Amino acid sequence: MSQTFPWFILFLPLGAAVLITLFTHERRELSARLSIAAVVVSFWLSVLLFTDPRAADPGLTLSVNWLNVGGLSVDFGLLLDRLSLLMLLVVTAVAGAIHIYSYEYMRSDRSFSAYFAALSFFTFAMLGVVLSDNFLQMFMFWELVGVSSYLLIGFWHDRPAAADAGKKAFLTNRVGDAGFLAGIILLWAMLGSVNFDFLAQKLAEDPRRLGAFSTVAGLLIFCGAMAKSAQVPLHVWLPDAMEGPTPVSALIHAATMVAAGVFMLCRVFFLFGATPQWPAGLTWLDGISALEVIAWIGGITALMAAVIAIQQNDIKRILAYSTLSQLGYMVMAVGLGGRTSAMYHLTTHAFFKSLLFLGAGAVIYRLHHEQDIWRMGALRHKMPLTFGTFLLATLALCGVPPLSGYFSKDALLGRAYEQNVPLFLLGLFTAALTTFYMFRLIFVAFLGRPRSPHIEEVREVPGVMVLPMLFLAVPAALLGFWAVNHYLAEQFSSIPPEPVPPWYEQVFAPFQHLPLVAFLGLGAIACGFFAAWGIYGKASKDPLPEKLGGLARAMRNRFYFDELYARIIAVTQELLADFADWFDRWILAGVGVRGAHGTTEFFARLLRLVQTGNLRTYAILFGAGVVILLYALLTR
Amino acid sequence: MSTLTYIIGWPLAAAVALLWVPRQMRVLVRLVPLLATFITMVLAIKLFWQFEPGAAGYQFVQKIGWVTSLDISYHVGVDGLSVGLVLMGAVVAFAAACVAWEIKEREKEFYFLLLLMTGGILGAFASLDMFFFYFFHELALVPTFIMIGVWGRGERKNYATFQITLYLTLGSLLVLIGLIALYLRSGANTFDLVRLTAYLGKHPLSPDAQLAVFPLLLFGFGILVSLWPFHTWAPLGYRAAPTSTAMLHAGVLKKFGLYGLLRIALPLMPVGARHWLGVVAFLCVGNILYCGLVAMRQKDLNLLVGNSSVAHMGFAFLGIASLGLIGITGAGVVMVAHGFLAALTFGLTGYLYQQTGTLEISELGGLLRRLPFIGSALVMAMLAGCGLPGFANFVGEVLVVFGSWKSVPIIAVLALWGALVIAAVYMLRALRNVLHGPLPEKWAALSDATNPWRKLPFVLLLSGLIIFGCFPRLLTGKITPAAAAILQTAAPQQP
Repeated sequence: MSQTFPWFILFLPLGAAVLITLFTHERRELSARLSIAAVVVSFWLSVLLFTDPRAADPGLTLSVNWLNVGGLSVDFGLLLDRLSLLMLLVVTAVAGAIHIYSYEYMRSDRSFSAYFAALSFFTFAMLGVVLSDNFLQMFMFWELVGVSSYLLIGFWHDRPAAADAGKKAFLTNRVGDAGFLAGIILLWAMLGSVNFDFLAQKLAEDPRRLGAFSTVAGLLIFCGAMAKSAQVPLHVWLPDAMEGPTPVSALIHAATMVAAGVFMLCRVFFLFGATPQWPAGLTWLDGISALEVIAWIGGITALMAAVIAIQQNDIKRILAYSTLSQLGYMVMAVGLGGRTSAMYHLTTHAFFKSLLFLGAGAVIYRLHHEQDIWRMGALRHKMPLTFGTFLLATLALCGVPPLSGYFSKDALLGRAYEQNVPLFLLGLFTAALTTFYMFRLIFVAFLGRPRSPHIEEVREVPGVMVLPMLFLAVPAALLGFWAVNHYLAEQFSSIPPEPVPPWYEQVFAPFQHLPLVAFLGLGAIACGFFAAWGIYGKASKDPLPEKLGGLARAMRNRFYFDELYARIIAVTQELLADFADWFDRWILAGVGVRGAHGTTEFFARLLRLVQTGNLRTYAILFGAGVVILLYALLTR
Repeated sequence: MSTLTYIIGWPLAAAVALLWVPRQMRVLVRLVPLLATFITMVLAIKLFWQFEPGAAGYQFVQKIGWVTSLDISYHVGVDGLSVGLVLMGAVVAFAAACVAWEIKEREKEFYFLLLLMTGGILGAFASLDMFFFYFFHELALVPTFIMIGVWGRGERKNYATFQITLYLTLGSLLVLIGLIALYLRSGANTFDLVRLTAYLGKHPLSPDAQLAVFPLLLFGFGILVSLWPFHTWAPLGYRAAPTSTAMLHAGVLKKFGLYGLLRIALPLMPVGARHWLGVVAFLCVGNILYCGLVAMRQKDLNLLVGNSSVAHMGFAFLGIASLGLIGITGAGVVMVAHGFLAALTFGLTGYLYQQTGTLEISELGGLLRRLPFIGSALVMAMLAGCGLPGFANFVGEVLVVFGSWKSVPIIAVLALWGALVIAAVYMLRALRNVLHGPLPEKWAALSDATNPWRKLPFVLLLSGLIIFGCFPRLLTGKITPAAAAILQTAAPQQP
């Protein structure tokens, strides 16, 4: 029975998307209900599958052959193990909540049906990434995720900013995907398959199989994750992606799609078990492994995004940079070999971050698309439920015990502490910054006095929007007690994990395990909170720009990455395009084609001069010809 | 009688029949070509369905002797490579007949030429005789020139007609010389491809002859497919061409050159192929990267699409140049996929032109709100054009890159970049500027394709792309054995 479940989980959302597009486009209500029903059923089936003990151990693969040409055989397969089951649950749960939330949020939009079709299509693509059992299939769904993100960011495409943001997101992702595909082909060329199990087995047999290309292959595959999970230097698209409708930001750009990179790295972690080696010419890099690069890129992203978040004023952009920063944490954890802690944080983050976005969406919904936190204030009394869940999610994000984020962040920092102390300190500092910018947001937007006259009319959002928030608040608060790390450790580590302690002991477990990390973590939260309270507790405008001067300006301008890239693109690709266009126009079409045409025509005109039509000329020419011929023959 | 003969015969018979229809009966003038191409399409689908992928040799064969002294005969048949092309050609032909409603004057002549073109193209793909292979191609090619010249659009119509006529005539002239040289040098005294292949398999041409004759066919066919640097006729020609002509030419007729390389040049002159295809591997970078960059700079939507179509041909060339099973199968898929795609894109831009009277990108904008169906179809076409999985183009391009990785890794990486990044840059820019953003006042009165008849051609072409994109084995299962057979003669050491 459960053999068919994964297919239903995957294809129900696609079915909904297709039905809406083809048939129910005109019927808004029906479209929305179809889409919601599909994802809810998928969620329910995921729960059933998750609780089925046969599904997870030892794992299950269902596949059919999709393409078979010569030495390239690609299956369409669904891989079920603890990793994908957990992801299934996260994706369908968050997607379900957000589908329902959108039903109210998008109600007045003229393209209501199209919105739900796109959302369902995204869910399908994301589930496809999660379930893929080989690289090429994953790449295809990876691209489909990218394109649904493009369509949804640019959903309000008559707004130039939204249309540009969608395009930027897709192109940035394409750059990463080019590396990803190159890595896939490299692996195929060297090992002869794209199947995860097969590749893992080959590399386990002989870690030197990839020879000089092992590090390069690892980094190329990481390129894909770098773009999807918005790591430096390919992070620039994510903040702009906030131009999309807020539920989209919650689902795609906070909980699921951007986590796909981290998930993928965990899925193909076996690659990094290959002996690190560089090809000739790059041997001076010897000693640097792909994992090390990944860890540092994650760490730098975490810190930089947190710094930028401090000086953003748009509520969604603050959350977007926060997402970047948390994704940096996860990537760092993968780089340090902590798959379990990375996936743990991914799971908890999916819930509390989508909850934060839904809260922000509720505020934006009631404030008629006002997103500047300096025009909010005092929303606590007007929207108590929204405020309550938002605060809860904030505390979870900061890592306050006993909320979910506390456990996952502690696991992550503990990993860093054991593996790489500089990165641990960087992570700790980022944790303090996280608390600081989140409480800046809380103090300015939700507490204090009203900062704009509209606040008086604000009411709590309707139940259809509150319910999903309450639904997400439960795991955001309590997920830590479920011990995701123990669940995953069964798959990821060879040592059988310790039995899960009772819940009251779990809260204190971090203090027994690595007390220094736990205490420093709490200290960082306290520092961040008090700093935010001191600066923003009663502020009427942001005091930091005056105090920090140029640094604050750089932070507000996101360290000028966009400007830098624009310049780089202008001197490389655009210049090349100009040259190619010039060459095509003037050399090939001009000198080449017109030249050949012109020369032919020139000789034609020249020869035409001979054709005078005058009998005497012909006679003279004829005579001259005879003379020349005779001369040539006689003097021979 | 073979189904193939009916497939070729219906459009040609309809063309002749059309001559007797009085031009006042406009409904009938339109109905005849629609009906003929529809029957052809249904027959081609049936042919594709009934084709047995595993069986050796050609299927649906029919042979009628004609000039016995030169051994020229009407000999048709399909293998895995051509059956997909016949299907694609027939679908595109019906779609092209559907969108020809934009032609308002001299309809009868237009449809006559359209039917001639259709019969010619399908005949060329089905022919197993070099004479008819060439004859059918010319039968399709000449109407192209007339159609662009008479029903074309734009100020530079005459120059475009002039250039495309001379260029393509030059290309087919080179092919003709090559084919005659092949006939004379082989000593087999036959135009029959099956017999010629068998004969040359036993008594191969001398390497010198191969090295001399192969480039004639390579560059002759190359010009017909817009191999860089002989591509400048294509964007100009497609901009000036009426919609149906651009669809048929860019979609179907252009594939003739690639098909000729695979069917004739490679198997008959393996030594020449191995020598000259190295050059092609470099030239196709010109197609993929250079023309992609040129496409970025275009200000006219059809010039952009035309350049992108030239760029896509680079993948087919690269697949052929890889001389491997994966690469050639990939080239076969690219040929079919690009046929659907080019026809779809030119059909859609033609619709836009018919509505707005301009394809100047800066003049357009925000059209998606006004034209939801046409706009969405254009979005899909552009995404297919930048290699989105789910569309057949992705399958073809990915196979080509996989296939060329081992022989020419650097070029494969460049092709990858061209497919994923450069194509995305110009396609998305075009989408952004044509469909997104605010709708200019002057386009507020445009009307979308709401009538099912108007939608039908685009739906058909899109279905082709999606079906083969999601279930590629429908195509590759047929192409791979044919590609293996070609490789067995062309490069026996690489099975």
